Amino acid sequence: MVYRTHTPEETKKVAAEFAASLEGGEVIFLEGELGAGKTTFVQGVAGALGFDGPVRSPTFTLMNRYGVEAGAIREVLHLDLYRIEDPSELTTLALEEELGGAESVSFIEWPMDKLPSGLWKTIRVKIEINGDSRVVTVA
Amino acid sequence: MKVLAIETSCDETAIAIVSEVDGRFVVEKSTLASQAKIHAQYGGVVPEVAAREHTAHLIPLLKEVGVAADGEGIDAIAVTAGPGLVPALRIGVELAKTLAWSWKKPLVAVNHLEGHIYSVWLDEEKPSFPALCLLVSGGHTELILMKDYSEYELLGMTRDDAAGEAFDKVAKMLGLSYPGGPEISRAALKGNPEAIAFPRPMIKSRDLDVSFSGLKTAVRVYIAENPNHFVEDVAASFQQAVVDTLVSKTLKAIDQTKPKSVILSGGVSANKHLRESLRSAIHPSISFHAPELSLTGDNAVMIALAGLHRAKNKEFVDPLTLSADPNMRLA
Ligand SMILES: Nc1ncnc2c1ncn2[C@@H]1O[C@H](COP(=O)(O)OP(=O)(O)OP(=O)(O)O)[C@@H](O)[C@H]1O
Ligand SMILES: [Mg+2]
Repeated sequence: MVYRTHTPEETKKVAAEFAASLEGGEVIFLEGELGAGKTTFVQGVAGALGFDGPVRSPTFTLMNRYGVEAGAIREVLHLDLYRIEDPSELTTLALEEELGGAESVSFIEWPMDKLPSGLWKTIRVKIEINGDSRVVTVA
Repeated sequence: MKVLAIETSCDETAIAIVSEVDGRFVVEKSTLASQAKIHAQYGGVVPEVAAREHTAHLIPLLKEVGVAADGEGIDAIAVTAGPGLVPALRIGVELAKTLAWSWKKPLVAVNHLEGHIYSVWLDEEKPSFPALCLLVSGGHTELILMKDYSEYELLGMTRDDAAGEAFDKVAKMLGLSYPGGPEISRAALKGNPEAIAFPRPMIKSRDLDVSFSGLKTAVRVYIAENPNHFVEDVAASFQQAVVDTLVSKTLKAIDQTKPKSVILSGGVSANKHLRESLRSAIHPSISFHAPELSLTGDNAVMIALAGLHRAKNKEFVDPLTLSADPNMRLA
């Protein structure tokens, strides 16, 4: 699916639509350059799943968690690997423990090439900057 | 009273010993190491292995601060219990619990943000209450009112990117090296802060929240549209936009809460322009406090300072049941 959005609100709306298709257990790789709208997209998802707190950039915290109640989904995990240089550093996150559980959905900004996708049910969302608009591709 | 403090809330592993004599704090030892890089192949690594690696990293630090094997001379142990990343926090918390239990010393749990606020307590002149704190770092941008010891109210925060994060990302866009904060301020010295009219997001909003992702995007767009831009001008104009936003929100908070002192802390408080701008913007009847440069980033001295206060008040926690709290609130 390809969408074109012109404002952050439109991107959040696309994200909300995407959120409605989630069942739990999905791991979403968010791709796109600096400022493309990856965090904005997660704001749309978390809001649509019923989280009403702030959704901030996890670049420094590495992982934020948002409690929700949407069908089987109880938690949105929001990760950002921007500052991670080597995939081996991910062990400190104890990723295997967290991601892919049936009661959570996980969004990963800056997933890098080296992150194995085979471990989980992975969905790729790509956001490209195109002049004044964004092209959001869900694959 | 002498406190051993442990901090492992994110990237840094730090241990310090701070003592208090007649209301004066003395840093006896302070050491810091970046989180151990674990070179195990990703995929088959169990978390226990990661934990063991981190512990292996902490023990040498413990030796470095020269604490006796039976903890002699230490009156209490303080540890960062949150907020932060559980796998990182857990390392420090488990070590602190073990030491407290085997040495039979009381244990206090410190909030990482509270630690940053206490980083100014090392100075001779202590802030008086109510104190308004602007905490700015890579992961935090918060305005907190400290009404009294252990009495906090969160007034506002960033809705998206933290101030320090914006510095690092703009530095990256400008091709400056990491960490970006110091590089931006250095470049800004030679630039014109009024060269480019970057937005001051939410400066007019009535609440005390801030937002920096729009500013990040504005800089990106400017750089893309002006391939011949002067790095120094972009750096100076960006820094000015951040400083204006933070100073204006702090002034608004002063208006609403009438504090007796203002505390600026966190990694971004090392920024000289921010320090000087805020210091000169507030009324001289309000005292201004900012930590010495070595205490602006994450460190264990600030955890010890906060811990000393809690230990004196006997706000102890049970070493058998304490657990890391990723969303720990200030209280
Ligand atoms: N159509 C759009 N969709 C999303 N964001 C948009 C759009 N148009 C403009 N923006 C702006 O772009 C910025 C996107 O920032 P955001 O932090 O979400 O990006 P990001 O991809 O998470 O960046 P980073 O790589 O730093 O994590 C926001 O300031 C937002 O207002
Ligand atoms: Mg982001």
